[in-house]
Amino acid sequence: MNQPAHFEGQSAKEHLKKARKKGAIATSEIHGTEMSGALNAFCECARTLIALLLVTYLLLTPTLLPLLLFSLAFTIFSFGRSSLIAWSRLERLHRLIEDERHEITHHREQEREELTEMYQAKGLSGKLLTDVIDVLMADDNRLLMVMLEEELGLPLESFEHPLLQGLGAALGCALSAALGLIALHFGGLLPLVITAFLISGITAYLTASRLRIEKIRHITWHISLLFVTGAAAYFLGRALL
Amino acid sequence: MTRNGPYLFDEFFASGKEESISPFLTPKSRKYAKNIALKSALLSAFLLALAFGLSFYSSIYSNFTLVFVYVLVGTPALIGTIDDIRNLEINIDVLMTLAAFLSVLIGSQLEGALLLVLFALSGAMESAVSSRAKGALHHLHEITPHFATVVDDKGVTTQKSVREIPVGTHVLVKAGEIVPLDGEVISGRSSLNLVHLTGESHPIPKEVGDTVQAGSRNLDGSITLRITKSSSESTLSRIVKLIHDAQEAKPKLERLFDRFSKVYSMSIILLSALFALSFPFLFHIPFLGVEGSLYRALAFLIAASPCALIIATPTAYLSALSASAKKGVLLKGGVQLDSLAGCDTIVFDKTGTLTTGELTLKGVTPPPGSKISSDQALALAAALEKRVTHPISAAIQKAAADLPAQSVQNFRAHAGLGLSGTSNGTPLYIGNRPFIEERTKLPEIHPKEGELIAYFLIGDELFLLSFEDELRDDIGETLNQLKSNYQVIMLTGDHYDNAAHIAKTLGIDNFQADLRPDKKLDIIAELAKNHQIAMCGDGINDAPALARAHVGIAMGKVGSDTAIDASDIVILNDDLNLIAWLSWKAKQTMRIVRENLILALAVITLATTPALLGFIPLWLAVILHEGGTVVVGLNSLRLLKK
Repeated sequence: MNQPAHFEGQSAKEHLKKARKKGAIATSEIHGTEMSGALNAFCECARTLIALLLVTYLLLTPTLLPLLLFSLAFTIFSFGRSSLIAWSRLERLHRLIEDERHEITHHREQEREELTEMYQAKGLSGKLLTDVIDVLMADDNRLLMVMLEEELGLPLESFEHPLLQGLGAALGCALSAALGLIALHFGGLLPLVITAFLISGITAYLTASRLRIEKIRHITWHISLLFVTGAAAYFLGRALL
Repeated sequence: MTRNGPYLFDEFFASGKEESISPFLTPKSRKYAKNIALKSALLSAFLLALAFGLSFYSSIYSNFTLVFVYVLVGTPALIGTIDDIRNLEINIDVLMTLAAFLSVLIGSQLEGALLLVLFALSGAMESAVSSRAKGALHHLHEITPHFATVVDDKGVTTQKSVREIPVGTHVLVKAGEIVPLDGEVISGRSSLNLVHLTGESHPIPKEVGDTVQAGSRNLDGSITLRITKSSSESTLSRIVKLIHDAQEAKPKLERLFDRFSKVYSMSIILLSALFALSFPFLFHIPFLGVEGSLYRALAFLIAASPCALIIATPTAYLSALSASAKKGVLLKGGVQLDSLAGCDTIVFDKTGTLTTGELTLKGVTPPPGSKISSDQALALAAALEKRVTHPISAAIQKAAADLPAQSVQNFRAHAGLGLSGTSNGTPLYIGNRPFIEERTKLPEIHPKEGELIAYFLIGDELFLLSFEDELRDDIGETLNQLKSNYQVIMLTGDHYDNAAHIAKTLGIDNFQADLRPDKKLDIIAELAKNHQIAMCGDGINDAPALARAHVGIAMGKVGSDTAIDASDIVILNDDLNLIAWLSWKAKQTMRIVRENLILALAVITLATTPALLGFIPLWLAVILHEGGTVVVGLNSLRLLKK
């Protein structure tokens, strides 16, 4: 049984693929998805601010106070931006869950077909498959949960509140600014550069550990990125300013 | 919601997709979403106080702090205002937001921030109170079984969604379960009650051939039903639809203040525009500049939006809501007070509202010449009944609470019929007529209207236990009190004779009986054409009428959750005397709101505008302005008195 209004002219299998992609896009956002949003925001913002402080200092050699004020403004911006991004994502997820609920209520036959497709792919067949589908279809709440997790690939109870993500971003900025400016105040450029590399390296390590990706490669790339950013500012600044 | 089982997504949707119960957020981080508007308003209030303090030392730091106030509470106000303007609705919200933001242009940003903070605080408190009103049908979904145990030809049972069960399917309903769909008993025997549907706790024996309604509770035995109506046509679904229709048909409630605010806001905005455009021609003053017409028009707009006007209504409603809560009356919003103050007719349901809804043992009749006293028989009955949960058991337990406990051996429950056991070798049987009739010859008995008889056989001696649903204490006096201000009507699903007996006892001249939920709703809708109606009820069958009435009042203790959700006011302790008190409180609130509005307008007329025109000194204007705000606040606090 196929219903163009529901499957948009596709087979249940094609529809399933599209739905999973939709779910994956919905969960992804600028800070990534596989680690805690707050921690990710913390690492991202700490790295970004220390790079910006280094570049600003290399280009303009300002005194401490403008750099402090710049850090404060960037911290406020990061808090707001990170929170708003997370809020948008949450709103999007809520809309998706509402759409799926509508499907379950109004297109039960098609949902049954989708479930059959999913569980056939998992190796079930015959009476066992029918029984599993019947059990899942018996309770709408359970069915919605299964469809969200299995069809759309949306993980439940896994996102932090947007404010918490914003706080993570703000904390990352604040810590980065504090360490960078203390280093600059007491030691000058070299300690600032060392602090910047340390912050970049440590936050890259944290991200790599949580994402369970190759640590050395990840850290090295982030340090290299900071190096090229700083070097570009230094040499082009010297040449053009 | 927890992850121990499937999510209750219904709760999330019924709440209007509340962030604090979002299924996507981790349980720990959901706390950040609770009362976020109130937290933001309180933080803004703190920042405003800080900005005010800083303004004595440095205007830069003060303005820096004010920026956060404008972002925190000004952004939501601005979004709301843009929405209102898009919907072509010019109300007090639009006026306040305009005044608050335009005040920055004439250097009165502190005053503008104060407007925004007061506005946000009153809005957040109001939404905290009315958030309980969300999810009107959530509880109905909760008591409606989502799935049923289907029995196939071979007797194998499987669970299926009620949506997928066609007419003719056989469904098993075990003791304690709610009947999922309307059907006919094809095997088994049990007692069912309609406590969820009507508030009626009388157990009704059901056997093969009898019909049962979805939403009834199966009390003791297991029964198999042949489904006669699909999910979309079952009793519960019909009631859900009726509630939806009733909520759609309910007249939009409007506060006294709302009506005033639309006219007022529009007038002020138009006048400001008129001043800005006409003053250069009329008084030969420039358009721009401190002495210009634009500046003066802005000053007028801001002066016409004083703090006193903002707090005039919310403080009065919040005080009244707080006083009501202390008395045990929960109101879902201030607007209900306006509606109640205008009501001229009050409609009561009978069972569970005028009566207690619980069975009460009225008497024990021993056989002539019995050596066993009524108390001894009652104590033995209580010993048998203590092992089961049943409305009759509860009534017997309550009546025998002070009697010495007896012991019973060989206890056995006979589903849908009764209980048996022995006491010192004497056989005991308690139950309905068919159960006892199998054991002894029963006399012909004609119970009174509303009376329920249980038969208790001790050896060969037959005791009759009679039960009744009792009238509430002091209900007659309460109704007499209400009759002086309201037309009192009783609507009930009970039989005519029973209703007539209660109506006569209580002196209610206007009553209708044998009413199904849709008929009750029709009567309320018809009455609402010419009257302002308050409806007081408790059962699911009352929910559509409660939703349709101008004011729905539910009983908090005996009331079904659905009736509570569909109503506007909940009397938590079921004390109907509070209706008279609440009516007085509603009228007092209206009076104080009017007084506050007059005071706020007086501030504008007598202080702020003359000061702008230079007729009175600025210091006097400030005193009068702040004084007016304080007087309005204090006037509202009078409503806190119980």
